[in-house]
Order: sequence, then C-alpha cells, then structure tokens
Amino acid sequence: MKRYIQIILALAKAYRLRFFRDKTALFFTFLFPLLFLFVFGSLNSSNSDISFKVALFNRSDSSFAKDFVNKSQSDKTLKVNKDVTDFNTARELMGRGEIDSIIELPKEFGVPNNNGVPSGKMIVYYQEASPQSGKTIAAVMEGVLDGINKSLGQPEPPLGVTQKSTATSNLSPFDYVFSGLLGFTLLSLGIFGLANSMPAEKKTGAFKRLRASPITAAQLIFANMLHYLLIGLISVVLMIAVALLVFDFNMRGDWLTLATFVIIGIILMFGFGLAIGGWAKNENQSAALSNIISFPMMFLSGTFFPRFLMPSWLQDITAFLPLTPIIDGMRQIITESKTLFDLGPELGLIGIWIVIIYFIAIRVFRWE
Amino acid sequence: MGNIITVQNLTKRYGDKTTVKGISFEVREGEVFGILGPNGAGKTTTLEMIEALRPIDDGEVTLDGLDVQKDAAKVKNIIGIQLQSTAFFDKLNLREQLRMFDSLYGETTDPDSLLAEVQLTDKAKSYVENLSGGQRQRFSIAAALINKPRVLFLDEPTTGLDPQARRNLWDLIRDIKKKGITVVLTTHYMDEAELLCDRIAIMDGGRIITINTPANLVKELIGRGFTKTQQVEQANLEDVFIDLTGKAIRD
Repeated sequence: MKRYIQIILALAKAYRLRFFRDKTALFFTFLFPLLFLFVFGSLNSSNSDISFKVALFNRSDSSFAKDFVNKSQSDKTLKVNKDVTDFNTARELMGRGEIDSIIELPKEFGVPNNNGVPSGKMIVYYQEASPQSGKTIAAVMEGVLDGINKSLGQPEPPLGVTQKSTATSNLSPFDYVFSGLLGFTLLSLGIFGLANSMPAEKKTGAFKRLRASPITAAQLIFANMLHYLLIGLISVVLMIAVALLVFDFNMRGDWLTLATFVIIGIILMFGFGLAIGGWAKNENQSAALSNIISFPMMFLSGTFFPRFLMPSWLQDITAFLPLTPIIDGMRQIITESKTLFDLGPELGLIGIWIVIIYFIAIRVFRWE
Repeated sequence: MGNIITVQNLTKRYGDKTTVKGISFEVREGEVFGILGPNGAGKTTTLEMIEALRPIDDGEVTLDGLDVQKDAAKVKNIIGIQLQSTAFFDKLNLREQLRMFDSLYGETTDPDSLLAEVQLTDKAKSYVENLSGGQRQRFSIAAALINKPRVLFLDEPTTGLDPQARRNLWDLIRDIKKKGITVVLTTHYMDEAELLCDRIAIMDGGRIITINTPANLVKELIGRGFTKTQQVEQANLEDVFIDLTGKAIRD
C-alpha cells in the first residue's frame, strides 16, 4: 500500500514540476477563470436600475385586494414580476438584485372593518443591504393608500404599509452569482484541461513509456487527480482573492467548510476530464465528448442562470447533474453559512458521482 | 547457460490479419539476441508481447520463470525497455526523469551515476526535448536500466543516428552485456547485428525463418554455394567516413 501511494506521489510530483515550467499553460489556466470572473462579476455587481421591480403576493380574498393587484399590473412605477409564484424564490431573486422589493397583501388586507370600509396593512419587504429601494417603494405605496384613505373619509386611516427587511442581509447579487462562477471554473478546468492533455501524452508516447514500468492505470489516474487538485485549488483561491478585493465578496460561512467542499467538488469534476482524456485516443474524440458532457452542466446546473427560474420539471431533472450539488452547496455555504453536516444530500450526490466517474475512468482508460 | 526467455507458439492477430504467426524461440541468459527483419515482419509486436505491453492472443512467454501474461507486474520489475518511439515527459530534466522512474520501481538507484554511465552527466539539467538523437537514445537506455533489470529490450536503438553516435551506442551495449544483463534488440543494420549479437533470429511475414550465430548463418549461406559477384573491398565508405571524421561523438 505504501509503495502504491509512493508511485502516485512520484508521478504527481513530476506533473507538478512540468506544469509550473510551462508558462503559457500556467497563464491560460489561471487567467481564463479570472477574466471570466471580471466579466460576469461586473455584470452582476452594478445595479443602477431606476425602475422598481417587485414581486406581488396576494394572500387576501377581498375584492379590494384583487382590485389593487389588477391596478398594480398596469401601474408604470411598479413592474410586477408575474413569473414568481413562490415567496422563497422571490427572496432569492431579491438577494440577487433581480427584483427590488416584495409586496405582500396579508389575508386580512382589504377586508372591511367595523365601519364597513377596506382596511389592513400591506407588507413591503426590502433588503437590508439596500434599504433605499424598499423605503422608496414603501413611500410610493403609502402615497397610493393615503389617497384611498382620504376618499374613504375615515378619521383613522384604515390602510397602511408595514416595512420588513429580509434575512438576506449584507449580501450582494455578486455573492449569489459567485458560486456559479466557481462552479463554471471547476467544470472548464476539470473537463477541458485534462481532455486535451491526456490524449496529447498518448500521442507522444509518454504514457506508453510509463506503461513499461510497474505503474497501473488507476495509479496514473490518481496521480493526475492529485496534480489537478492542486491546480484547481490555486485557481479557486485566486478567484476568491479577486472576489474579495474587487467585488466586495461577502463570505457568511466557514472558510474551512468551503475549502473542504471545494476539494470534493474538484475531485468530482476532474473525474470527468480523467475519464474522457483517459478513454480518448486523440484530441478529436475527447473534444467532441467533453462538449457533449459539459454543455448540459454549463447551462442547467446554475452556473449562469439560477435553476429556480427553470420550470419545475427541469429543476427536478437538473438537480441530479453532477455540477448542480457542487454549485448549490457552495452557495449555501457562502450565503447561508451552512455546514458540511447541513449539506448531507449534496455531499451524498457528489459522493455517488465520484464513485461512478472514477470507476468508469479506470475501466475505460487506454494507454495509447 | 540457461534460457532466460522461452517463447512458444506466440501469436498476434489484428482482426483477420495475423502479424505474428506462432513463433517459438529461446533467449539464453547473458547473451545479446538480435531480431532482424524487414519493416512489418512483426519484430516490434513480438517484443511488445514479451514485454507484457501487448496482450498475447495465443502461445506462451516465460521470462525468468514467470508467465508474462499472468505475472505482468513482476515481469515489468525485472526488465528494462527502450521503445522505438522513445517518449519522455517534456519540461522535466534528465535527473528528475530518472528520479521519477526510480520511484515507480521503489528502488534506490542514483540518477547521477546512471547518467555518468551513459555519458550524460553534463546534461543532467537538460530537458529530453533538447537532446540530440544519440543523447536521447543513451538517456532512453539509462531510464531502462533504472530498475537494474535482468533483461534489456532495445527496439531499433541506432536508427537515425550518425556513425559516431552508433559506435558510441555499440560500446554502451557491450558494457551492459559485460554486467551480465541479457540484451534483446531489433535492428535493420546487418553490421550492427554482426558486431553485437551472439545469436540472431531473422523474421519475415510474422514467422522466424532462421536462428543462429552470425558466423554460422554466413557459413550456411556459403555452404549452399552462394558467391558474391563483386570482389569485396578491404574497406567501405563508412570506414572512409569514420577515418576522416573520427570516432568522437559529437553531441
């Protein structure tokens, strides 16, 4: 067993020495995710929109409330997002800065009071991090309701506004997007890097030479995994550094938890690259296969587009993609300070994928 | 001297094409055994089956008492292989390469003494991609010796080398033989086979046509009444070349 691991370590060391001498490869390996981070990070950090996008939840059956909802649909100051039907989704959307506020009409809103006129208080939720938009909307709504109050001619204004801040405090849209960007980096590093380099080494005959020694396919795969784990970690650390310095990234969770989770995620994603690169005889085969495998994850695992915007049947299917639990887990650690124990389901799914993909990688590996 | 390699009825098929057709031969311990033959004769395939690099379709190979198919891992520990398309990792200097291979075998060979043996001491910090053809072949042999093998396989070791580098490599192979290591090599050069090999197998079309010592093979041919139409010169053009340019290696 000791010999077995020694062989893996010796080969991983050789890979490491070579990698850091290839300045071109170094440059592209680490710079690409950072460029990507700058582009997408900038898109999500500037939120200088002046129109108010809100989600509206009507829990009241009163005709007044229904009338209010209908009128608000045609209102120009409020843009009601009609696609949102679930309060938690709306909260997350607000966290990401995609809507400014959530307006909730409670059950008793608009129900006639003792004097026979509609009464009640609507709730305006806003984000603690950006209270201006929430306060503005609350002020606008108060103005509207005051007008109705006056027309009702009651001494005590029966309609009013309650303001509430949501729990997504101190988090910016970037903090939500960041885990998706990390996930995309792991996907591209994990699949495309290895899918290129392994067939290239078959072509030169370097693997064939190794095969003359007592090394096994599994040892070669684990040595590569170990080497790329290092590269993946460096890349993630660089991205987090840029996120902290440039995008005011807020980390609510535990760094050690994130590090552990990221390592497990890297091991899984590089498993795909190892399986593809190990199987392919040349770069043409690996390029085609890596595209087929990475594309669904690139678009359906929540890298660029949050999964909760998808139809629910698609959410159910994409939940099982290997990258989905990685991105979900990272986001829950970052924005909800979840622990590894909380992330049991995600870790379980990742674990199953790791077993499957490394089993396949060792089985389909070809030396030439 | 006993046989270190026994090959019996060795066969390799690719689809409906049989490239090695049930060949049998023995290699004696300590000898230099040459396999000669035109391109496509099946030399490399035969070697790679003996080296446990290629599955054997039919037949049996025993190496130092080990069944090559069943004990592939053990066999790899006692043989050294120099492949025709020698490929080493790029961006890794010679000392680092040897250190890596050394770890793969778990042995404790000193990379520097091995480099000295193949006259590459001053290249210890060079990358393989920056070596000349002759240096590369010598390094390839050094890497094959890292596990102190009992049998060394050399597949066309001198192909593409200049006359000086070839002579240098012959000296190296003779030194290796002196250490008691059995050498199995393939070559296209008859002068090389005649100088280095104790016995020769000539292959063609996947079969072994004959096996004997170089001297006996020549005697057999003359015994069959063969005569050359031209008078043999006392020297050939290669002798002229070496005389004019010297034996010192250039790389």
